[in-house]
Order: sequence, then C-alpha cells, then structure tokens
Amino acid sequence: MEKITRYLTVYDKILIIVIIVISLIMIAYPFISAYFSNNEEQNSFIYIKDSSKEVKRIPFSETYQEEPMIIKVEGPLGTSIIEAHNGRVRLKEAPEEDPAKICEKTGWISKPGPSIICVPNKVSIWIEQTNSDLDAVSW
Amino acid sequence: MSTRKIVIIALLVGLGLVLHLVENMLPLSFIIPGAKLGLANIANLLGLILFGFIAGLQILLLRIFLGSILAGTFMTINFYLSLSGGILGYLIMSMFFYYFRNKFSIIGVSLGGAVFHNVGQIVTAYLIISNDAIFYYLPYLILLALPTGVGIGLVAIFTYNYLPRGLKRIDI
Repeated sequence: MEKITRYLTVYDKILIIVIIVISLIMIAYPFISAYFSNNEEQNSFIYIKDSSKEVKRIPFSETYQEEPMIIKVEGPLGTSIIEAHNGRVRLKEAPEEDPAKICEKTGWISKPGPSIICVPNKVSIWIEQTNSDLDAVSW
Repeated sequence: MSTRKIVIIALLVGLGLVLHLVENMLPLSFIIPGAKLGLANIANLLGLILFGFIAGLQILLLRIFLGSILAGTFMTINFYLSLSGGILGYLIMSMFFYYFRNKFSIIGVSLGGAVFHNVGQIVTAYLIISNDAIFYYLPYLILLALPTGVGIGLVAIFTYNYLPRGLKRIDI
C-alpha cells in the first residue's frame, strides 16, 4: 500500500477523492429526488389512432369522473364508440358492418401491453405509461 | 517512422490483443454487469508514453478492430461500446498526459482514461437503447473504474521501468 502511495501525487489523490464524491452523489441523487417528489401524478395516457392515422392522446386522470368519457371515432365502416372510465378504456360499440367485432370482445384494458385493435374500421387503442411497472413490452 | 518504432508499436498491438482476449474470458461481470478491467488499455497507455499521441491512437484502433474480429464481435453493440469508450478514454488520457503532466502521475492519467471510458460507453449505450435510466448505472461503473484505473496506471509504471533505457523519452 505504501508502495502505491509513493507513485501518487497530491493531484492524483484529489482526483480520486473528487471521483468518489461525484459518483456517490450520482448514486444518491435518484433516491433523494424520489424522496422529495410526490409520485401521485398520473403518467398514463390513452392513445387512440383512427383511419386517418391521427393519434389522440388522453391523460388517464381525465377519466376519473362520474360519467364515463365517450369518444366517437369515424372509420371506413362507420362510427366506433370508445368508452373510458375510472382508469379503464374499452371499445363500447363497433359499427354494424364489422363482421367479427373483435375489438368489442376485447373488453376493458387498463395497463400498457394489451391493445384494442379494430382492423376493418382501422381504429386502435393502446395505453402508455412513463413509469410503468413492466420493464418492456413486445408485440 | 523508424523500423524500431514500427516493430515496438506492432508488439504493443499484439500485447493489447492478448490482453483484450484474456479480459473477455475473465468473468468480472458478476459484480456489475458489463464491468471490465480494461487491461488492454495498458498497451495504448504505454504507446502514448513511449511514442506520443498518434502511436497510442494507432495501437488503440488496431487493437479494437483486430480484437473484435478475433472475438467475433465486429460491428456488434460490444464493438461500438468499446470503440466509443476507448476513443473518449484515450482522448482524456492524452489530455491529462500532455497538459497536466506536471500535476498528475501516470496513475492519474490512467484513472481519467478509465472514468471517461465508462462515460463514453454509457453515452453510446444511451444512443443505442435510448432509455435514460441507463445513466443511473454510471456511478457504479465509475466507482469500479477507480481500482482498475489505479491498477492499470501502476502496471504501466512498472512496465515502463523495465524497458531498456534507449526507448524512454521521458521520466515518469
């Protein structure tokens, strides 16, 4: 050990201490910032894409109301009615001409991962979260 | 460039290649995933001390290209990580070596290189996976770079002291 210190200059020791201090601050920073910020804010969004490739983004916090939120989306077959309520979203009514109505049968979704897709009417609905409890999602 | 210099640079490239391949076999990743000793940097650090910036850069680039071809990681993520980290670390090392020579010993030079090697790697990894959570990982890698950086510096000093006097340009 004293052999090592023989090679070190004063500036080397200062550099070592600075590096240790900086990395300890960087390790502590996420914990400190997590402690001071309240994580109550909602970071989830509903995304609705219609046949014109237009994407609507609705924050989940807007769905916590007495009445369910109704969104109507026009597609090539007719109108799809989307219902969002209390942190969940579903495709309530597919147009009459839709042969399989898979999107209607998908039911409610509330987490990122599953998505509601209506191929004949070109509507898709999915959920994204900025800090999700899932590590990654693949389709 | 004299024949003597070419031969010694080639020997240092060979040394770096062997260290690069040996290092790949050492299972150090159980402490922190992706952590490495950086043994191969001994070769370009010695090249920098013996022949200056250009020679060290030649040794670094040749070692990374040949080493990744030999290890079968050419043009993979591993290759880009070691290329970016190696170049940034080497630039910082030469900056320390040329401008703060009177303040830092070779250990300080190697330490700066080791820390910025990790910074370069993390920035490249961020550009590839584009998830900023990877920066939380940086301080742990930097803490581990501390002992390895000091160790590499010591090895470089010991090796330099064993070299024949005709090779040495400067005293360290």
